Amino acid sequence: MKHYALAFATSIVALMSANGSALAQTAGGVIDVATIGEPPTLDPMASTADLVGIITQHIYETLYTFGADWTVTPLLAADMPTISEDGLTYTIPLRTGVTFHDGSEMTSADVVASLDRWMRIASRGKQTAEVIDGIAATDEATVTITLKSPYAPLLSLLSLNNAAAIIIPEENADQDPLESYVGTGPYRLEERVPDQYIQLVRFEDYASRDGEPNGYGGARLQHLDEIRFVPVPDPNTRIEGAVAGQFAYVDQLPVEAYDRIAGGATEPVVLAPFGWPVFVMNTQEGLNSDLRIRKAIQAALAPEDMMLAAFGSEDFFSIDGAWYPDSYAWHTEVATEPYKPMGDTETAMALLAEAGYDGSPLRILTSRQYEYHYKMAQVAQAYLEAAGFKVQMDVVEWATLTQNRADPALWDIYITHSPFLPEPSLMGIMSDSSPGWWATDAKHAAVEAFNAESDPAKRVELFADVQKVIYEEVPAYKVGNFNALAAQAPNLEGVAPAPWPYFWNAYLGDE
Amino acid sequence: MLRSALNRLIGMAIVMFLVVTIVFVIVRVTPGDPAAVMLGPDATAEDIASLRERLGLNAPIPVQFLTYFGGILRGDFGQSIFLNIPVTHALWLRAEPTFFLTVFALAIAAAVALPVGVLSAYWRGSAFDQAATMLAMFAASIPSFWLGLIFMQIFAVQLGWFDTSGYGGPGASFAERMHHLVLPAVTLGLISSALITRFTRAAMLDVLNDDYVRTARSKGMSEWRVVVRHAFKNALIPILTVIGLTAALLISGAIVTETVFGLPGVGSLIVSAVLRRDYPVIQGALLVVAGLYVLVNFVIDMLYLLVDPRVRY
Amino acid sequence: MAAVTTAPARAEPNLLIRIASRPTALAGLIVVTVIILLSVLAPLIAPYAPSQLAVRDRLQGPGMAHLMGTDELGRDVFTRVLYSGRTSLTVGFAVVVFASAIGVTLGLVAGFFRRFDAPVSRLIDAMMAFPDILLAIALVAALGPSAANVVIALGIVYAPRLARVVRASTLVIRELPYVEAARALGVPTPVILVRHVLRNVVSPLLVQATFIFANAILAEAGLSFLGVGISPDIPTWGTMISVGRQFLDQAPWIMWFPGGAIILTVLSLQLLGDGLRDFLDPRLAKDV
Repeated sequence: MKHYALAFATSIVALMSANGSALAQTAGGVIDVATIGEPPTLDPMASTADLVGIITQHIYETLYTFGADWTVTPLLAADMPTISEDGLTYTIPLRTGVTFHDGSEMTSADVVASLDRWMRIASRGKQTAEVIDGIAATDEATVTITLKSPYAPLLSLLSLNNAAAIIIPEENADQDPLESYVGTGPYRLEERVPDQYIQLVRFEDYASRDGEPNGYGGARLQHLDEIRFVPVPDPNTRIEGAVAGQFAYVDQLPVEAYDRIAGGATEPVVLAPFGWPVFVMNTQEGLNSDLRIRKAIQAALAPEDMMLAAFGSEDFFSIDGAWYPDSYAWHTEVATEPYKPMGDTETAMALLAEAGYDGSPLRILTSRQYEYHYKMAQVAQAYLEAAGFKVQMDVVEWATLTQNRADPALWDIYITHSPFLPEPSLMGIMSDSSPGWWATDAKHAAVEAFNAESDPAKRVELFADVQKVIYEEVPAYKVGNFNALAAQAPNLEGVAPAPWPYFWNAYLGDE
Repeated sequence: MLRSALNRLIGMAIVMFLVVTIVFVIVRVTPGDPAAVMLGPDATAEDIASLRERLGLNAPIPVQFLTYFGGILRGDFGQSIFLNIPVTHALWLRAEPTFFLTVFALAIAAAVALPVGVLSAYWRGSAFDQAATMLAMFAASIPSFWLGLIFMQIFAVQLGWFDTSGYGGPGASFAERMHHLVLPAVTLGLISSALITRFTRAAMLDVLNDDYVRTARSKGMSEWRVVVRHAFKNALIPILTVIGLTAALLISGAIVTETVFGLPGVGSLIVSAVLRRDYPVIQGALLVVAGLYVLVNFVIDMLYLLVDPRVRY
Repeated sequence: MAAVTTAPARAEPNLLIRIASRPTALAGLIVVTVIILLSVLAPLIAPYAPSQLAVRDRLQGPGMAHLMGTDELGRDVFTRVLYSGRTSLTVGFAVVVFASAIGVTLGLVAGFFRRFDAPVSRLIDAMMAFPDILLAIALVAALGPSAANVVIALGIVYAPRLARVVRASTLVIRELPYVEAARALGVPTPVILVRHVLRNVVSPLLVQATFIFANAILAEAGLSFLGVGISPDIPTWGTMISVGRQFLDQAPWIMWFPGGAIILTVLSLQLLGDGLRDFLDPRLAKDV
């Protein structure tokens, strides 16, 4: 019976090479990509979910995006903006001759309407709207953004692919929820069968940038005919699918499956380091509104055991108190002393006594959507209880978690994770309104100075102050750095390892 | 006989009505405002109020029930909140794997259970009978998901005969899709065979003691003919009943089995609907499955009437 | 019919002896008793605390230090199987009690009062139309996931089966001469129900309850496995298997032992129930 599977696999390869290998690296081929589930929406403005970003970045495009070295690079914009002396006016030249999937041509009116929608609907847009004075179309191919105060993260925010500032036709900008999935991207939506697949096909009238591919930016090549995103919510099913070679690419595999994947029909792809798991504290209400309690938690937690339980082997994580690992410019060890790999139960007990802790339960909100969140929570519970906390675990579905975390009355800690974001201002805790609601004078002083500075070298120095205030006020606890594991078919080429994998530029080669 | 059929029809209508009512009640006691669920966490109070009005949630309960009942009569089971398509469409999209899984499982169960049950009854009290009875009981004690995982471990992971899970992805051929159903169907079939074995045995025992079997024997008919022609034929009706009812109940097993093997069927749709709080889908699935069960029951009753006119209700 | 009319008071003293005469039933009884004892005495027997973590000792195979190995957080699987037994058995037993309370009431009412027979019977038919796991999932979703709600949901699911049995027995009993005589003498209906009817349905009820106990343990495990049952931080056999599934190829023992515990418990309960049925209710023994 093994032969059967093998015969099948070879027939697929044969079929694909008929399309692909004769003219290697040129057009042809269909790939199936296993994702972690069915996206709640195909409107990347409406969601910060990585899954939504991964799929929709093929359909829609933003003015700017990130290059291979995580610097901002133009996409729908023709060039980097001209920024006025005072840092308040951004003049953005647009590319011409870019068509939407409905055949209309993109103009500055579409851009203004889209950015208005972004500021109205997207969480990152709403956050940015606070510093934006106005967005206007100067002419057909130029848009001007004026700010109330200098704001360095602006371009990064315009570049990100979730809660994304995508450009859609003006007439669709009033839709909420979005009903017409029309963008300018290299692939357009052909069919969506909920819970089965999302089928994207090559957009024949795509206007690619010239030159070479550069990370998410540069030229976007359309080798593949079709990309199908197949939701496979169960991690075990994804592992088995990867081992069996059922998919061209499998996203988000549990790292502990590395050996099995390596022995299977697809090759493991490790993205190291990928990001951080984080315990977000509710600074507004309940136990954690008391800084001393938060400090006690900071002392009590033992990241080494938490990460080991979550990721299985030190090959897949590292213990690091700095918010950015040393491969990033933002890396600094400033103020990380309270981060103790094995925890410091005695200090925690002392802090707890000082705070006059009354034994009311500390509510940890978590889900099993990401099994490692739950495992970290279990270990955290043990260490917190050792320090004298009474812990209540609220294990809910991820959808419920995203709903409940918006209500300060419901939780004290919630667990999430994030890839290392190219711009620290995009971190959840940097926004006063994101769940946790960290908003103190010390924070504002540090963050505003950081955001107002435009010189990259000075911003790196200023980030040290931000990290310092995070360690002093504990709005969140970063547990460590972890690697991500994906799997890729041996004949799929041209896929760059990325936190949000993308499949333009990819092609099917010979095995 | 027509009268009996009519009585049964009325009885079925009443049970169907009660089924709909029970589902309505379950959904009404479910916590959380469906309007708030649909609009998400950022909804304002006004948004929620207007959606409630539009959904008819502000109407008195009896009016709501009539609207809901009217919808079902028209085949309108509502709209899935998460998938944003009609519930009937969502169920239809998932019907194929569940249908074939059920059919295969039933075929396997019948293929195992009928011979074993017949022989058990025939050799009542023998070592074979005792062993078969014990085995059936043992099979009924195994959690289906556990057996599925063990099979997956042996036949898919170790031996590599099957894919461990999924349904072959988009574009998979029919043969490929059916290949994915082998392990789930065997799992489900073996566990369901327990019930059918016991029932076949009991039905055969009944018949083997009947006068006409004894008469047939005394006339010197060969044992094989006695057992198969006379006894089994007469035991077939109760056996078919159990097979019919097992078919409806297999949906229950399918929920668990589909989840274990990652099959995109109705069962796994129900589980994800629960996790997504997609109430209309849960509702629709409950109605369809319970409706099928009532229908199968009704058909079996009609068959009884046809085969054996003495049966009266 | 004989068993139905036999007063349970006379049947019970002999029951143990009669069970002992049948090896399979006896084996069932012994194993069930041992499993219950192990669960009750878990704190005395278990070598570790159920939630005691030792992350560095994770995923160790069965051996001297850990009889059944350790799980992904380094917790002792043997200890957790014992403690899980407490939850699983308690839930199963609570389901039986709850289902009996509803089922007996419905069955008595339907069987004894002609007027109510048709409506209650139709209601029972309608309830039985839902496959058990499906109805339980919907009910738990409606009530919210917690141990108490799992008990309520499964209780509602199994109550109609008991109601059917009780109704059938009641229908027979109410026509018996001494019940009719009691009625003619003006004995109040509640007294008749409790003294004559209820006493006589105890036998078939006991048989059914044993099977429902077994089914409830399987169903609870199924719900926990699907993630719609008891919260995953309360150990039950079902939640243990659900976690162990992720380590199927690295540490299959996490899954083996709770699975074995379920099979052993359910099988013993079924053997016991089979035996009980033969002694207490020969009328049923012929059916399934």
